[in-house]
Amino acid sequence: MSDNITIAPAEGANRPSVKQRIEYMGVVNDMAERKRIDEETQALARKLEESNARLEEAQRVAHVGHWEWDLETQEVVWSDETYRIFGLKPQERPMDLAGVREMVHPDDRESLFESVDADLSAGTYPVAEFRIVRPSGEVRTMHAITSKRWSAPPVDSTSEASERARKLFGTVQDITESKRVEAERQALSRDLQESNARLEQAQRLVHMGYYEWNLITGRVTWSAELYRIYGLSPQDGPIDMALVSEMIHPEDRERVFRESDQAIRSGVPAAAEHRIIRPDGEVRTVHGLGTVKRDAAGLASEMFGTVQDITDRKRAEQALRESQFYLSEGERLAHMGSWAFNDSGHYWSDELYKICGLDPKNGAPTVEQYLALVHPQDRSSIAESIKLMLEEHRGFDQIERIIRPDGQLRYLRAVSVPVVELGVFKGFIGTTMDVTEQELLTQELRREQAYLAEAQSLTHIGSWAANFLTGQNYHVSDEVYRLHGFEPAQGPLALERFWKTIHPEDEPLVRAVLTNAIHARIDYEIREFRICLPDGTIRFLRTIGHRNPAGEMGDYIGITMDITERKRAEAERDRLRQIEADLARVNRVNLMGELAAALAHEIKQPITASVTSANALLRWLAHDPPDLDRARAAASRIEEDANRAANVIDSLRSFYRTGTPTQRQVINVREIIEQMSSLLRGEADRHAITIRSEVQSDTPNILANPVQLQQVFMNLMLNAIEAMKDIGGTLTIRSRMDSENRLFVSISDTGVGLPTGYAEQIFEPFHTTKPQGTGMGLTITRSIVEAYGGRVWANANQGMGATFHFTLPCEADAAV
Amino acid sequence: MKAAAVPTVFIVDDDGGVRRAVQDLVESVGLRAECFATGQEFLNKKRTSDPSCLVLDVRLPQMSGLDFQRNLADLGMQIPIIFITAHGDIPMSVRALKSGAVEFLTKPFRDQDLLDAIQQALQRDRAAREQQGEVHDLHGRYLALTARERAVMGLVVAGMLNKQIGSELGISEATVKIHRANVMQKMQAGSLIELVRIADKLKPGLR
Repeated sequence: MSDNITIAPAEGANRPSVKQRIEYMGVVNDMAERKRIDEETQALARKLEESNARLEEAQRVAHVGHWEWDLETQEVVWSDETYRIFGLKPQERPMDLAGVREMVHPDDRESLFESVDADLSAGTYPVAEFRIVRPSGEVRTMHAITSKRWSAPPVDSTSEASERARKLFGTVQDITESKRVEAERQALSRDLQESNARLEQAQRLVHMGYYEWNLITGRVTWSAELYRIYGLSPQDGPIDMALVSEMIHPEDRERVFRESDQAIRSGVPAAAEHRIIRPDGEVRTVHGLGTVKRDAAGLASEMFGTVQDITDRKRAEQALRESQFYLSEGERLAHMGSWAFNDSGHYWSDELYKICGLDPKNGAPTVEQYLALVHPQDRSSIAESIKLMLEEHRGFDQIERIIRPDGQLRYLRAVSVPVVELGVFKGFIGTTMDVTEQELLTQELRREQAYLAEAQSLTHIGSWAANFLTGQNYHVSDEVYRLHGFEPAQGPLALERFWKTIHPEDEPLVRAVLTNAIHARIDYEIREFRICLPDGTIRFLRTIGHRNPAGEMGDYIGITMDITERKRAEAERDRLRQIEADLARVNRVNLMGELAAALAHEIKQPITASVTSANALLRWLAHDPPDLDRARAAASRIEEDANRAANVIDSLRSFYRTGTPTQRQVINVREIIEQMSSLLRGEADRHAITIRSEVQSDTPNILANPVQLQQVFMNLMLNAIEAMKDIGGTLTIRSRMDSENRLFVSISDTGVGLPTGYAEQIFEPFHTTKPQGTGMGLTITRSIVEAYGGRVWANANQGMGATFHFTLPCEADAAV
Repeated sequence: MKAAAVPTVFIVDDDGGVRRAVQDLVESVGLRAECFATGQEFLNKKRTSDPSCLVLDVRLPQMSGLDFQRNLADLGMQIPIIFITAHGDIPMSVRALKSGAVEFLTKPFRDQDLLDAIQQALQRDRAAREQQGEVHDLHGRYLALTARERAVMGLVVAGMLNKQIGSELGISEATVKIHRANVMQKMQAGSLIELVRIADKLKPGLR
């Protein structure tokens, strides 16, 4: 026999809202061995009764009733408490399903029985919460639990699935109160949460957190915001005082604890501003407040307080203090004063008095007094501005000159603004700044600019600054406009306009140079390029651009200059040089021809003479009898002429050596002069020229080649004749011994004179003023004279003509 | 022709050597020679009626030989000229020859060339002188004519008939015949043709 007592667990009984717990509940079922142990049965019956009574009591206390529902008969058995729950007297009347149904709140009726049916069909235990309407009309909320279902008695062991529930057993509890309490609790909880959230938000907004510090356990509790203030996260775990202490700035740590100790001892709330260091090293300033809670014995048990992060406020305060300082300091440095003018009076700041050189003790000046300070030339316009200000409430911004009482001239910039509040004019406020230095600088700058512009205009050099990538012009001097054929007065022009003036043939080059320079970030110079002016003229420009290293890419500053004139001058110089070269070449060619012709003539004369004499000689010999005397004479002439030819050649050769004196002999200068004079007299006569000679008695003899000396005289005398051939005149030859015992000869004419500045050049080879001249005469003369250690020069006469001089060492010197 | 006449060669050259050599050469062939350094000196010389010629250097100190040649022509002095030069060129020689020079020799020249030229020049001078002598004779005859006879002679050589001449001069044909006979006789002309030739020779002098 097995024990047939089944104790079923009462599901759902363990409810938190119910103070008393019901662990198990059960019924003792039928027993097969009642007969066998009657006493036991009776004892058990007693126990059951007791148990029932206890159960009854428990149910009553817990407002839990139980019920049985016979699904076949639809009979319902309620416990007493169930009746009470439903607002009836216990066992007042028998119950059936219809009665129960009747009492269920109409709104819940359908849903309740549908869910029960569904549970039964599914074989599960129905559980339901529903409202009932008590006979008194009171509505209560029920919670019903099915804890047991009986099927048909297990006659034979068939499968449970095939069993059909026959009877249900369960409990019902009146949960109206607990529902209400729960609802209230939830509402409270919601309020609390909301208020917590608001607090949290408020804390976050003001960066304020709070803490609780249990002074007995040492335990510290922080609000979430406090974690954040300290740069921590609430998830970082509990806080202890060691950690808090560590996070306080070392310089503030001692003070903070001293103050909190004092608060704990004295009971006076602690307040401390101190710094903390966040784990990431950031320093924050916080303001802490703390109050101490005491227990019944008066011992300090807990400290509660708030901590506010005031870093930003401190910073703002600092910034404000700084800005105020800067403002006042700035005004002082800027020499700026301020003033106000309204119904309540006329205010001047100290700085304004200082600017105007007035004494603050005398108070703000009247308009008339102020105008007296103003420079006479500005006075009327300032008076007009003040008048407009007072009458039409018009502000102004102007530069005015004042003369301080000490006589100093100052430039002031005065700005005035009308004050209008809610559409009503209240007066004026204004500032006055001493801009003397700036003004003088500006004037200086304007002058400098004027000078620069003038210089640029004179030199045809313009300056500019531009960005070639963006095409922006920063600065273009007037001269640049003019160089490109624009009028400066016509206003700023786009860079592209300047580009368009570049000669189409030169533009690719200019662009290439620029592009290269921009990308290589280097300076550039375009030595020469052409631009076309609107009237078709071509101008040559040169431009130099320096990269602005401080600027953006493509920023260049530079100059552009007009090299047209220079180019023209260069071309002219090239042309002249070419002509000179051509002339020199032609001269040389002519000279060669002339020399050859002269040489031929000079040599042919003696040769002709010799040949002819030889022929004559032969003919004298052919006479019968031969005329030997004549033949001999002819032979000696042949010798003479042949020697003459050799002499000519020697003389010519000596001209082209550097005058190596050969065949020197003592020469009587007086004789040479007489010879040459007589030789050239005919030529002189033809041109109405008189030859005079003034040979001083001290004129020394010299040692020289007579042919060369003749050549010297011949050249200089012919030169003099040439100078007078169209006008006639006098040729004077003077000779004497100079202070250094040298022969000194001068040959003067009264002719056209020397070309200015050509006194030296006339001795240069190929220099000639004569259409037919070789330009060699004076050159040869000089080379001969210098070969003897002498000197030759020329100078213009006081009156007409020129004088040529030469010196030669005398015989004694030359002999050494 | 006067056989006694000794031809003279005048030499003008600024180079003394050349001057003397040419003089010697000329004298070696039995001619007379006279030297001058300049053209002016030559002009100052009184000329004889003897045949002569001039050996002239082109390059002279004052005036070139060519200019001197033109000067002589302007002065009416007719003398054959032989130019010698140390540096002559073709244009110069052409100009000289066109102006009547006998020869243009460049220095140094072959003696025979010069002597040949001199001979040619003297021959030419001789012929010129002869011609000049005949004209002089005819001119004398012409001067013996009366004014009427000269007028008649002019019209006769112009080819007019006696009748026409009489009509022209307002005289009778018979009178014309008398004048014409006188002219023929005084001018020593054997025929009309001869008279015309005489008139031709006289023509420059008649102008």
